[in-house]
Amino acid sequence: MTRPFGEDGGALAAAGLDVDELQALERRLIDRLGLPEPHGGSIDAHCHLGRDADGHRLGTAELLADLDRFGLRRAVCFALNDPGPDRQFMAANAGVLAAARRSGGRLVPFCRVDPTGDWEPALRRAADGGARGLKLHPVAQRFGLDGPEVAACARAAAARGWPLTIHAGYMARPIAEPLRALLRAAPGARLILAHGGRGDARAVAGLARESERVMLDTSLAALPDLVQMPASRLCFGSDRPYGEHATALHLVGRAAEVAGWSDDDLAGIMGGNLATWLA
Amino acid sequence: MSHVDAIRLVAACAQCEMALVRDDSVAGPLLVQAARAGEATEAEPYLTAAARLARGLNPRDGSPGSRARRKVVQALVRAASTEAGALALRGPRGGPAG
Repeated sequence: MTRPFGEDGGALAAAGLDVDELQALERRLIDRLGLPEPHGGSIDAHCHLGRDADGHRLGTAELLADLDRFGLRRAVCFALNDPGPDRQFMAANAGVLAAARRSGGRLVPFCRVDPTGDWEPALRRAADGGARGLKLHPVAQRFGLDGPEVAACARAAAARGWPLTIHAGYMARPIAEPLRALLRAAPGARLILAHGGRGDARAVAGLARESERVMLDTSLAALPDLVQMPASRLCFGSDRPYGEHATALHLVGRAAEVAGWSDDDLAGIMGGNLATWLA
Repeated sequence: MSHVDAIRLVAACAQCEMALVRDDSVAGPLLVQAARAGEATEAEPYLTAAARLARGLNPRDGSPGSRARRKVVQALVRAASTEAGALALRGPRGGPAG
């Protein structure tokens, strides 16, 4: 099955697109990147599994095939925006955990909850099922990062040794100061800010530079937001199925050229940095 | 390409990216403009293909093929945006842009 730019080749052909041309354009993006393989393998820090109300969906087999195709060893996975009738992602989290159990260690499951509701039972159930991190989405679940319920979630994740991924892409609110307050309120929390923090990029860059408990994932990030960051504060991500791996790798490769990152820097970004948080 | 041309290309790509996210019918004309702004750069093949594929975009068509087309156009614009950003930041000769 061909999947240029992460999309089904059959569907593209049926819509009249030239799949061979698309594959050639995709190859052009990644042919000369020369990204090093980190010790222990590369990790995609940001993938979704399941289905979303907006129509996006991704299955386990498709994701594993994508990882194989681009030489990626592991992927952090969490549910799409599918909170279900309990509003706490119980079923969606269970689906991600089941996929991870079948993946031979390649899929690292994070759980999602809505901190504005009764989230603790969902988090406990996910922990019992093998979750290794937490993902919060303040835009999808409509909450601010400065509330006590978010700090409580962060403390619960920290108590389990979990990293906490937070959507930090498109949103209207400033997030850097609330995140500083969150780091104070949850002293053990380690935050992965998604999308290079592009929702509040200048302020978030300052936060990430000053705290070793903050990392930015590169999924659907903007190149200028990455190149001035210390490489040790970045981790590769794709945001499948919203993003895909060819442009995600291309972004990191071009950022490396502009920023002058070393092979060691790149190995960290491609998995080494995040591996220390997942250990 | 001058630094000003590179900045223009960055802005054009950003406009396209947002129009596509919002399913705005202005995305097609913006992509055609962006493709012109990106002529003779690394972004050109991606913008040219995106502009051509965008002609078939129909926000009211929810078929798998239509959705896949839109996702591919978005990916091509991301690729172009990255190339444009790199061009603006490193300058035309590989050093920092002046």
